[in-house]
Amino acid sequence: MLGLSRFDPMKRVICFDDFDRGFCGWTQLVGNYEHDLDSMLPGYAQHTQPQLSNLSHWDAGTHGSVDGTYALKIATRARAGAQNTAIKRLTFRKPSPIRLEFYFTFKPEATELALSETDVRSIGFLYDLQQGDQGDRGGLGDRVMPHFRFLNATGGEHLQRWQYKDKTTALKPLGTQGKTLTHYHLAPEGWQDLPGGGQKLCYNEIPTKVNWHYVRFDFDLRTMQSMELQCNDRVYDVRSARPIVMPAMRNLWCMLNVAFFVETDVDKRAMLYIDSACLSGDF
Amino acid sequence: MLRQNQTAVVARNEWWTDGDASEPYEAGWASEAMVFLRALSAEGGTGRAVLQISPDGMRWIDEGTAFETPASGQVTFARLREFGQWLRVRVELPAGARLKVLLTYNLKA
Repeated sequence: MLGLSRFDPMKRVICFDDFDRGFCGWTQLVGNYEHDLDSMLPGYAQHTQPQLSNLSHWDAGTHGSVDGTYALKIATRARAGAQNTAIKRLTFRKPSPIRLEFYFTFKPEATELALSETDVRSIGFLYDLQQGDQGDRGGLGDRVMPHFRFLNATGGEHLQRWQYKDKTTALKPLGTQGKTLTHYHLAPEGWQDLPGGGQKLCYNEIPTKVNWHYVRFDFDLRTMQSMELQCNDRVYDVRSARPIVMPAMRNLWCMLNVAFFVETDVDKRAMLYIDSACLSGDF
Repeated sequence: MLRQNQTAVVARNEWWTDGDASEPYEAGWASEAMVFLRALSAEGGTGRAVLQISPDGMRWIDEGTAFETPASGQVTFARLREFGQWLRVRVELPAGARLKVLLTYNLKA
């Protein structure tokens, strides 16, 4: 398959999502609630549906994606600190090494005639995983959430570095039935610099030109450990970058969710575009 | 190849007052849209929902289609074709009125 040749998948391609074929199962990350939508945490309430974009600009028309017309677009609201995500929900059939690869770019909404290179705060990706019900500790197991982001800028400072986080907010019960919990794992607190993780990415001279970047992330479902992160020509050993770990939940066995997210640093929409993504496993 | 068909919830559980609008939604791949506006709650009377289009997702003009905003618990809708690439809904409500919206687009290639 021609599109797959730009990836380096492991033996088994679990999914290959080229957004020229549609949304490919990527959807809105809606927060948990019970009885009333008002019970949803504000971090989730701000989320909206991803879009299929051809990256059209007011000054130069359609930009297009890597090898076709469309990319998955995740856009924040125009409020400093606003975030948005897109998620794909799977389960795994074999605890094995897995590899996520994707081509991405990001930009602020072109509301100013200025480069605006420090307007997007961050873009990132995460897994939401849980061991199988016959797994470690007599099936008690863990829910494990490796999070990585490229911190582009904060407060006008162009930081350009990779970060990870190993903590989420406290679990909060919702409603009255004792079945629903929530926590905000994308809270702005708790991000740590990846050692040696500074990386200058290509960006263009105005906010209506973009260049596409490549990411590969290797994770081992057997040990629930992050292994290696590659972005373009840089490869990082991320075995010491611990994921968020919490006790297994009673309903999430073998969960394999993948999500992308974007965050704006100013009162302007930030956009993350994913041209294509490939998830593969060594089985 | 089956036609693409996407349901997008573009505003959920937000209180809107006069002049408020949905976030821009890009759907140049779609040739038709059904726009459903549900009032999770409504206070102070109904008004108009106006469909708007845009050349760039930033500058908005009325497309010409408008429909009544729903009373509490109700749903109203409009049909739209040839809307280009960008779509949003803006509401015109009486002074003091507000609407807690669930705005849903059903889009088809």
